[in-house]
Amino acid sequence: MVKQQDAIFRQAYPTPPYWTVSFNIPHPPAPGTFMLADLGGPLREVLFPAALTVDGFTAMVPPRHPATQLLPGATVNMLGPLGQGFRLDGTTRLLLVAEAALLPPLLPLLEAASAVALVVEAPTRAQLPSPDRFPPTTELLLVTRDGSSGYLGPLESQDPAPANLQRVLPHLLELIAWAERVCFACVNERYPALAAIVRAARLHPAPDFAQALVQTAMPCGVGACEICRIPTRFGEKHACTDGPVFDILTL
Amino acid sequence: MIELAPRHKFGLPIATPVMPAAGTFGYGDTYHDLVDLRLLGALVTNPVSLNPREAAHGTRIAVRGEHFIAHTGLPNPGLSQVIRRHRQTWERLPIPVIVHLIATTPAETAQAAGQLAGLPNVLGIELGLIDNITPQRALSLLDAARAEGDLPVIVRVPFGNVDTLAPQLADGGADALTFTAPPRAVLPIADAPEENATSCQYLRGRLYGPALLPLLLNTLARWRSKLPIPIIACGGIATPQDAIACLELGATAIQVDALLWRDPPLLQRIAGELAKFDASTELDETPTDVVV
Repeated sequence: MVKQQDAIFRQAYPTPPYWTVSFNIPHPPAPGTFMLADLGGPLREVLFPAALTVDGFTAMVPPRHPATQLLPGATVNMLGPLGQGFRLDGTTRLLLVAEAALLPPLLPLLEAASAVALVVEAPTRAQLPSPDRFPPTTELLLVTRDGSSGYLGPLESQDPAPANLQRVLPHLLELIAWAERVCFACVNERYPALAAIVRAARLHPAPDFAQALVQTAMPCGVGACEICRIPTRFGEKHACTDGPVFDILTL
Repeated sequence: MIELAPRHKFGLPIATPVMPAAGTFGYGDTYHDLVDLRLLGALVTNPVSLNPREAAHGTRIAVRGEHFIAHTGLPNPGLSQVIRRHRQTWERLPIPVIVHLIATTPAETAQAAGQLAGLPNVLGIELGLIDNITPQRALSLLDAARAEGDLPVIVRVPFGNVDTLAPQLADGGADALTFTAPPRAVLPIADAPEENATSCQYLRGRLYGPALLPLLLNTLARWRSKLPIPIIACGGIATPQDAIACLELGATAIQVDALLWRDPPLLQRIAGELAKFDASTELDETPTDVVV
């Protein structure tokens, strides 16, 4: 059932490269599901939870996002929770893989399993999140596309690395073999290549072994507007109702 | 009851003059949690073509201020699949269904109209035309829809073609006209990649937003009383007052377009306000003056 809820905006503060905004709301979204917030524009804004609190959730948004302009105590009308989120089902070994810019929706999963590994890729060192942001129990692999820090990306690349640098792909394959579940948050165009990596690491991955969050415009949230349709192996699907979390092997 | 097709043998009576516009409300019950369908006059489905169509590639939405452009490519699984998936829902709905057909060729339009004839609770067809269509082509599509089916045919007139198409379609047998399809427009895509910041990317698509309302009212004011068939107003209607203005300027009913994505209950709020507004006494006898 699609709910319409009034959320109370609590605060906004910078957590570069994002801003963190927090809301109190009776029915907060689960990881991978989303809220559509009426922030005054012609379309509602998609908010994925970056953390769940006792009485609501926080989201991480770009610096000039309209949510950063709200005054504490403001009432914000929201639709949701909407969509199908991550399905972890008692996973104990969880691998998270994200581009730094798209990482926030995976953050609620950092403590969703007893052992969590996180692979974060950014174009360069300056765009990587600070390692102290993550729980000390998280195994962290940092990847840069220019080799300025951590392993050399991109995640899918099998090209030989220059001297003094190591490609991340062999380590990613190891982690996929280790994990009971893998959750991805990357641009949609990369998912077919990442699905191929999953297939290379696991002979017959179970359904939902590797899940991918599709981040796209979802103006209506209920499958009416057809703007969020994405191609899958089973025909076009609505990201807002069939997803936004999909089995990566279907993308 | 409000009659949308007074010249048709069966007619198309609706209880209230409020409908969602094609492409905004899905095929049936997607908004049933948020909108009380019983308060609406009819459901206008998302655009359907005889054959399946895939979604447009790339960016599909661009926002600027209070307006936005949407470019979906009118994806749909094809009429047969739509009927198979939604026939039972349509039958259960408490309001009549008007199927919005993407009119491509006369042969396909005729075939589609034939498939829709006799479906339970499908009481009308709204034909969607391409923007630069000629009057001859529009009339041939209208003829095809009328020849093969027995349903009333509403034609949604392209934004820039009202003057050339409306009188001919009215004379050519359309049961009602929808004024208008959203205009085509171009906006820069806000989230263009930083490395391409100097070469901005643009999106062409359908324009939505409150600025469409004065354009709609202008069209209504120019055409009221000049057409022998009902006009359904569509474009930029965002409040009950907007809807009342459309009715005062001659519209028989209104459609709420993509603005309802932000505020789905807007439909029932408009319906509620219009129920208080006695359109019959205020409109029929003393049309509102338009001061220019």
